[in-house]
Amino acid sequence: MSRLKIALKQALSILFLETIALFLIVSFRIINLESALVLFVFDFLFVSLAFQLAGTFTKKLGLLALSNIVGFFCNLVFHSFHIVGVEYFGDLFNGFFAISYPLLNMVWMVSFWSLSLAILPKPKNMKVKMKS
Amino acid sequence: MYLARHYVFTLTVLRRTKNRHSRDPMLSLNLEDPPFVTVLIPARDEEKVIGRLLQRMTELTYPKDKMQVIVINDASSDDTSAIAEEYSHRYKFIEVLNRDKTIGGKGKSAAMNSGFERSRGEIIICFDADYYPQKNILENLVREFTDRKVGAVQGRVVVLNEPENIVTRLVALERIGGYRVDQEARDNLGLITQFGGTVGGFRRDVLETLGGWDESILAEDTDLTFRVYLAGYKVRYVGDAECYEEAVNNWKAYWTQRYRWALGHMDCCYRHSWKVICSKNLRAREKLDGLLLLNVYFMPLIVLLAFVVGALLLFYQSPWTSSWVISLLWFSVPVSFYNFVGNFAPFFEVGIGVYLDGRTRAQWLVPLLVFTFLFNVPICLKAFVNLLASKILRKNHNVWVKTRHNGNGNCYIGN
Repeated sequence: MSRLKIALKQALSILFLETIALFLIVSFRIINLESALVLFVFDFLFVSLAFQLAGTFTKKLGLLALSNIVGFFCNLVFHSFHIVGVEYFGDLFNGFFAISYPLLNMVWMVSFWSLSLAILPKPKNMKVKMKS
Repeated sequence: MYLARHYVFTLTVLRRTKNRHSRDPMLSLNLEDPPFVTVLIPARDEEKVIGRLLQRMTELTYPKDKMQVIVINDASSDDTSAIAEEYSHRYKFIEVLNRDKTIGGKGKSAAMNSGFERSRGEIIICFDADYYPQKNILENLVREFTDRKVGAVQGRVVVLNEPENIVTRLVALERIGGYRVDQEARDNLGLITQFGGTVGGFRRDVLETLGGWDESILAEDTDLTFRVYLAGYKVRYVGDAECYEEAVNNWKAYWTQRYRWALGHMDCCYRHSWKVICSKNLRAREKLDGLLLLNVYFMPLIVLLAFVVGALLLFYQSPWTSSWVISLLWFSVPVSFYNFVGNFAPFFEVGIGVYLDGRTRAQWLVPLLVFTFLFNVPICLKAFVNLLASKILRKNHNVWVKTRHNGNGNCYIGN
């Protein structure tokens, strides 16, 4: 691999790492602690499990950065929804939101998890056809 | 706890796949003199699938003079008996045991016990009539019995009719999570590997010591698993021994099958929990895993309860609820992680299982597993209420409702 390619990959990895850190901090500062926690839990699962699968480090880091961006914007929408709901329905909406919040987060988390694993290259010892 | 357990399972399987090594080389089957094996096939109204399995039995690579196949025709009202008899006339090692309507039709356990009485094998292997095993499955399963501590073995179940519709596709995902990750990790970690009632078998002397199948319980597989462990033996999982099953293909059949499993499993929890805690044959980690396994069908109920309590708090909100109760509800986040997608296996576990099987397109369906979980909430609730009623009234409501097989999986064989 040429030195330029390696340097490019390293630069990309640093960019992705910065993106992940940025969105974790921004979600904590702009939205709330809970949204940052959700992103952190997803990052933890992804790093500890998906990083062991086939595929380049940069690709996995890119997917993780993308999922952090998506997760951040989803949480921003949920947060706005929460503020509007409390404005219209009063404090009662807090309870409703607390119950539905994990479910709303599951939508992007599980979808992104599936998407990421589908994009990563297949393992070498895969089984696709029925054994005789 | 369940979340942590499944996380460890997933991590274990990933590590093992990375440093893949074959089974213990000491466990080599003596092909000169393999043990005599009896295959028990309970069949009730299985005319659409029994021929397929019996044909497969004739194609197995295990020496036929070391095999006995017993088809237990359990009071069938269709042509199951005729098809089985035809095979038994053509092949000496296939026998048919007819149970008429006066003694038959009382459930799988009763049929298995009558088959066991007639069996001659040192090893007893069970297959359901809708299953389709690999040609070398008996060698793979029997090999594990070289270890004297092994009382039972379990092979891997793969859904045959997966492309049929969305129900079969989702069941296939559940099976992948359960076998590719759960069972394999339990086996690797030396925890409680579950005998699934089919595609597995027992050492004859162990089964005789245990007194065969318990006819009063619906989850006879879970019951036997725990009895094997409590007797000081272990169950081994053999992922290489694959067998293809015809999964339920509609929600009604799914409900019936899962209700039977839930009720039977909860009954096992009632019967075995204390024995597991007090057992001297089980190590601490086996006890912990055993208890978690026994209680797994209560998880949808706990989640339901959490949401009911949440809803109640919603309506009876006082000034103090808004702060710490809302924080308390945050516990529902990890609980949801565990339960809402994956149904008894979290989404990341199913995802990794599907990935390790090289099933890229199946990944897209993982989010839909939320529906199977939602479907399991009322199933487990009904099972719990019925179990509670039967224990209070001291009446046994365990009626075996058979899963119907339509033979749709046949078209996928050979493709």
